[in-house]
Amino acid sequence: MRHVPRAMFYLRLVAAQLEMSTLTALQYRLGFWTEGLLGLLWSVIGIAPLFVAVDHLGAVEGWGRWELVVLTGCFTILSGLFTAVLQPALRESMTHILKGTLDYVLLRPADGLVLCLTCAFQPWHLVEVLGGLVLVIAGLWLGEVEVTATGLLAGLATGAAGLMALYAFGVLVLCASFRALQLQALTHVMEALMDFGRWPAQVFPPVLRLLFTFVIPLLVMTSYPAEALLGRLSWGTVAELAAVSATLLVLARLAWVRSVRGYTSASS
Amino acid sequence: MSQRAAQLARVIAAVWRISLAEAIAYRVSMLMWVLTTTFPLVSLALWSGLAAGGPIGDYARPDFVAYFVAAFLIRQFTASWVVWELSGQIRNGDLNTLLMRPMSPMIYHAIQNLAALPIRCALALPIGVVVLVLAGGLAWPSPGSLALLGLSLALAWLLNLAVHVAIGCLAFWVTESTALFEVWLGLYLVLSGAAVPTSLYPAGLAEVVRALPFHASLGFPVELAIGRVTGSEVTHGLLLQALWVAGFGLLAAVLWRRGVRAYEGVGG
Repeated sequence: MRHVPRAMFYLRLVAAQLEMSTLTALQYRLGFWTEGLLGLLWSVIGIAPLFVAVDHLGAVEGWGRWELVVLTGCFTILSGLFTAVLQPALRESMTHILKGTLDYVLLRPADGLVLCLTCAFQPWHLVEVLGGLVLVIAGLWLGEVEVTATGLLAGLATGAAGLMALYAFGVLVLCASFRALQLQALTHVMEALMDFGRWPAQVFPPVLRLLFTFVIPLLVMTSYPAEALLGRLSWGTVAELAAVSATLLVLARLAWVRSVRGYTSASS
Repeated sequence: MSQRAAQLARVIAAVWRISLAEAIAYRVSMLMWVLTTTFPLVSLALWSGLAAGGPIGDYARPDFVAYFVAAFLIRQFTASWVVWELSGQIRNGDLNTLLMRPMSPMIYHAIQNLAALPIRCALALPIGVVVLVLAGGLAWPSPGSLALLGLSLALAWLLNLAVHVAIGCLAFWVTESTALFEVWLGLYLVLSGAAVPTSLYPAGLAEVVRALPFHASLGFPVELAIGRVTGSEVTHGLLLQALWVAGFGLLAAVLWRRGVRAYEGVGG
């Protein structure tokens, strides 16, 4: 029973952190145009190479034009969430580590990881999430795909697994930056890598597909949720993907605990 | 006159030494940047996979390998990052120091870019060679066309530099100039030939895309390197590159002159 107030406490804490960073972000209204809408534009423009491939091949490994739009929608949702919620928090936390101000975060009476992962937020990028949803719906509608209730459920489940995997991967990157302070650029590497989530899983050669499913779980985040929505994913695969995400989460938490234990404040 | 030239040469040599030392000091973070630009290498895996069943347009499997390895290397050789530095310096007042020095900040930035090139090449060339050995097949250009390739690379680098300076100078008036650059980058990835050879775009669209500055800064030198452009196309492409360099160079010069006049030197 003691867990209930604790969970409420964390919900209130996260809400307060998000509210604070939203208020900060609202000061820069130009950001709505430069960041939100242009981010959306960027995500959508990225479909061009896929369309070039469809143009020449008819279909990309069984993915038709509208199915690729659904995939691009899933990608846009995910990359929007990444740039809105995870990336700013990772950058801010890395700066804390670099400057030694992480001490003040760790001293607070709440879980350090929760505080780190909610310390910054760029609400404008949520425009991309909305745009991605529109793309998914448009792709399904124009492609005349009938989404079944189980397909929707599987899609949501894989999407949630993908999001967890993304967070776990982000935490691992954060832990790496405890050891090598110059790894700031790693979030850029992550961003560049994420671009390959635009492509259907089947396109990648087997080695890369394994790498992008189990080590850097890109495909769990984009390709598989799209397939689930299109009703092509078996529940076995869904369970497998959930297991991958859960494993990554446990690994990330362990890595975090280890890193914080080994953390020697850089400032003092 | 000759005395001034000698002094300028000494100053340039000094900046070169400092920049080279900086580049060597931050080699891990530079390796990260090189990794970020490995984008063409995963594109290579994708497209050579798609071409396994037969050529796409006029690109067979080995052609894709040659194309994307060349794209990866040429991106390293012509890279610029002035926009990040310049906009930062304008915003926080660090430009004041540069303006006091006995050389134009523009020359300083250009030399800094050039000085990092040897390190970038040393990091990138092995990656390129390994990929070539693994994937097999690349016909390097004949010695005669190497001179033309050198010219084309120089023009591509100048074009990148001019674009960076022009967009960086916008920081004199607006705070979000790097966000604008992200837009440029998004268009660049799709239209320059980094993600897909521009000649594969549908007829009509391809001609338009190939006339844009994005293609001049990457696609054209790549096609020249792998021997895809011949005869009058070479002169045509080089002229187009020179034209874009002149255009953006002029824009950068105008923006810089007007910007420095409007500059208030906050924070210095």
